[in-house]
Amino acid sequence: MVLTENSDFIFRLKGVLEFFCQLGGSNEAHGQSSISKAFQALRSRISSESLVFMVCNSPILLWPNKTFHSSLESVREETPCRDIQQHIELEDGANRKSSKRRDKKDAGPILVNLKLLMEVTESEHSGALSLCRVTNKQQFVMMPLCMDCVIDAGGHDMLGSVCSGLVEALRAQLSDMEQTVLRYRKDRTLPVPQPFHFSLPASERLLTVIYPAGVTDDQLLSVREELHRKHDLPSDRPYFRRANAFHFPGEAYKDGYLRNPHTHLSAPSIEDGKLFVVRGVYSYHHYMQDRVDDNGWGCAYRSLQTICSWFQQQGYTERSVPTHKQIQQALVDVGDKEPSFLGSRQWIGSIEVQAVLNQLLGVNSKILFVSRGSELGSKGRELATHFQTEGTPIMIGGGVLAHTILGVAWSETSGQIRFLILDPHYTGGEDLQTITDKGCSGFICTSFSFKDSDRVLT
Amino acid sequence: MGRGYIVEECVEKYLTDLSAAAGSCETGLFIGQCSAQRDFVVLAVRTPHRETEGVTESQRKPSSPDSIDVEWVAEHARQVSRMLPGGVSVLGLFLVAPPEVSKEAQNTLKKLVFAVDKSISKSKLWDPSEDDVTERITLHICSKTRKAVCKTFDVKDPKCSAKPADWRYQSGISSSWPLITCNVQVDLQIPVTSENVDKSIKDGLRTWAKQIESALCLINGRAVTDDAELLSGPKKSTKASQQQTVRAQLLVSAEDADAGQMSSAVVQECSGSVRVSGAVHCRAYIHTNKPKTRHAAQALKRDVVNTVFSRIEMLLEDLLMNEGDLVSGQQDLPQRVFAPLSGSGMSVCDYIFPDENTADVAERFKEMLGCDLAEGDVDISMEAQTRCSVLGVEDGCSEETTPTMHTQPSSEVVPKKKTALQYAAGMAVAAAVALLATATSLLYLNE
Repeated sequence: MVLTENSDFIFRLKGVLEFFCQLGGSNEAHGQSSISKAFQALRSRISSESLVFMVCNSPILLWPNKTFHSSLESVREETPCRDIQQHIELEDGANRKSSKRRDKKDAGPILVNLKLLMEVTESEHSGALSLCRVTNKQQFVMMPLCMDCVIDAGGHDMLGSVCSGLVEALRAQLSDMEQTVLRYRKDRTLPVPQPFHFSLPASERLLTVIYPAGVTDDQLLSVREELHRKHDLPSDRPYFRRANAFHFPGEAYKDGYLRNPHTHLSAPSIEDGKLFVVRGVYSYHHYMQDRVDDNGWGCAYRSLQTICSWFQQQGYTERSVPTHKQIQQALVDVGDKEPSFLGSRQWIGSIEVQAVLNQLLGVNSKILFVSRGSELGSKGRELATHFQTEGTPIMIGGGVLAHTILGVAWSETSGQIRFLILDPHYTGGEDLQTITDKGCSGFICTSFSFKDSDRVLT
Repeated sequence: MGRGYIVEECVEKYLTDLSAAAGSCETGLFIGQCSAQRDFVVLAVRTPHRETEGVTESQRKPSSPDSIDVEWVAEHARQVSRMLPGGVSVLGLFLVAPPEVSKEAQNTLKKLVFAVDKSISKSKLWDPSEDDVTERITLHICSKTRKAVCKTFDVKDPKCSAKPADWRYQSGISSSWPLITCNVQVDLQIPVTSENVDKSIKDGLRTWAKQIESALCLINGRAVTDDAELLSGPKKSTKASQQQTVRAQLLVSAEDADAGQMSSAVVQECSGSVRVSGAVHCRAYIHTNKPKTRHAAQALKRDVVNTVFSRIEMLLEDLLMNEGDLVSGQQDLPQRVFAPLSGSGMSVCDYIFPDENTADVAERFKEMLGCDLAEGDVDISMEAQTRCSVLGVEDGCSEETTPTMHTQPSSEVVPKKKTALQYAAGMAVAAAVALLATATSLLYLNE
């Protein structure tokens, strides 16, 4: 793999540390000191010689606290960290191909995954095995701490400094977790602290924030306000909601939906043309997903789901993407449809989509009426402005067909326009290559042949 | 064609001698190693006769298969399996019986095979894996004709019938089996949630055992992969070649499937806790028939789990016998000692309590495994004799748990149950050992 000199690296270390402490008595201060002591014990564990970092998919194991010991002769403390790359095996051929393509397109940082391990064997004898019993009434509190540290590094940075940086990050994360646990603990209920990484607009670095599990984003409002102030961020756009968390390249989404398939396309060539696309992350919803056979009637439902997924993943709402049933229920609730509509296979149109967005997400949307498909071409400026300012996906519906517009390539001088559309009529599996090849996510010319196309804007 | 068994030649002699001397029924165990292709029998050992007061030697020997004490045979097997290093296990049983009762022999052997398997697996904290061999060998020898019938039973299937097996003698089969070894640091904090302390400890150890089982194993510094062979270099290294010692390392991760889903810590009401800490020396042997690194790693990991659990079991059994209870405070677990198994390249092990001496151990090796050992053959140097003390727990109610080195050697601990004579002898041995140790260290210093 050829790397440019200045390409950046992200080193991400993950692993579980087992937290346990004993709470006895009812003394508040005593409980607090027990928790702090338990965190201190973990900090001393990660400072011990038994700490090991394993570079995923490689034979490299590193002992950062053992005067930098490595499992490979050629990997040493002063080795530039980009040399690690040559030891990492990509899982399969396809993977290598796609990652190569990505490297060419956007020279984003290269992610190196590491796993935290603890060596239990030792070279020297220490004390003999003994058993110690303590009898006193107490509460034994246990939880797994999912450590997740990232640091960035330049390709020339020495591996030794990367590792010591990670050890330091681990220590700091444990301290942050301790703060979170102490702050959100309710008597004997200790919340599990969870790290989230956020990418901020003005910074190359990822910012890691610890949130207590089980405490909703709404309850954490004051924490986020504080973060917005600290990092000088506008307060009208979510940055630190859990849904905003940075998504690392190559990390699979748990729900199985594809994210932003359009990013794998190349822009069409229009003279003077500029690209205006959806901002942020959405998931691709289409026919036949979720074990729902909606082939032939569900396209607007799917298009709506894609739009909802955008609102959710931008952190505007915590509401999960609505199912067909929930969409129908919402329409019945607002009085748009009769109760018999529930469970039916009736298709919906833009008006219904607008109603559902309003009902479920409280989102106001705008409908643009276009009498002929070709007329849409004249709306270039309006669409470009929409993507620039709002960045929300647009649904386009004409008669029984619905699509999602994700962007436009538009030339201000010639008025030439291409639409980036996402087709919910796709019925296959979640394979990016097939989807791109079938043109289910692609740029098309203004050849809509609908009688009255209308669109939903926000 | 049944399963193949390669049997150490000295086993043949042992069985011949035994059947010549036996006037009635004799039972015993086969010890060795399983592999995917064939099993290796390294040792045969007779079930010791139960010492019951007021019973003469002839009465103690069972006269017919019916009168065999199944429980006793099973208990012997359990005790023996504690004394075996990783990779070595009880493979089956033999029965020497007079011709009049030979008809019952197969049934008796089957009964014994299942009883032994049950008794041994009771003391195992790990789950058997898919590719573990479940066939057990049985050998029925007619005490008159010396005719031997070799059959296997599958312990997985209680309804199984005896299958034929191929039994072949060979010499020096285990003389060059490589030794895989490591020292493992144990530090476990186990909540005692129920009235039953033993159960709480066992549950806690089981969680730890799972972690060890899924640990990443490094052999000679390299991570164990699925199909890598353990023995590199020229194939078919000559038998005379020296036994290899392989250093292993274990790296664990507290991987937890539910870790992502939990929203708050698990809180358990408990009446106290038990902390098991210290270092243990672990050993495993593996045959030389193209062994895979993963099999070596599995054998070693099982030894790690076994050696810790056996000691705790022994402590608890000891308490049970003396009708004592697990008291608060810190106490030593028995120390692991090793002794060479003559006629093989392997060593077997035993555990020595602070109030025991090497003579006691040598006697046990003789009784349990039929090993004739001099006291000097018992190697007590593999593990430390001094424990790390857990500070502040003397009163049994503090949670200060900073381990520091304890300087008091455990041999100074006053014996609990030995007679004065034995104690005196023990002290003499201890002194001799100390002298020897000084001499050795002087020798080293001179070098």
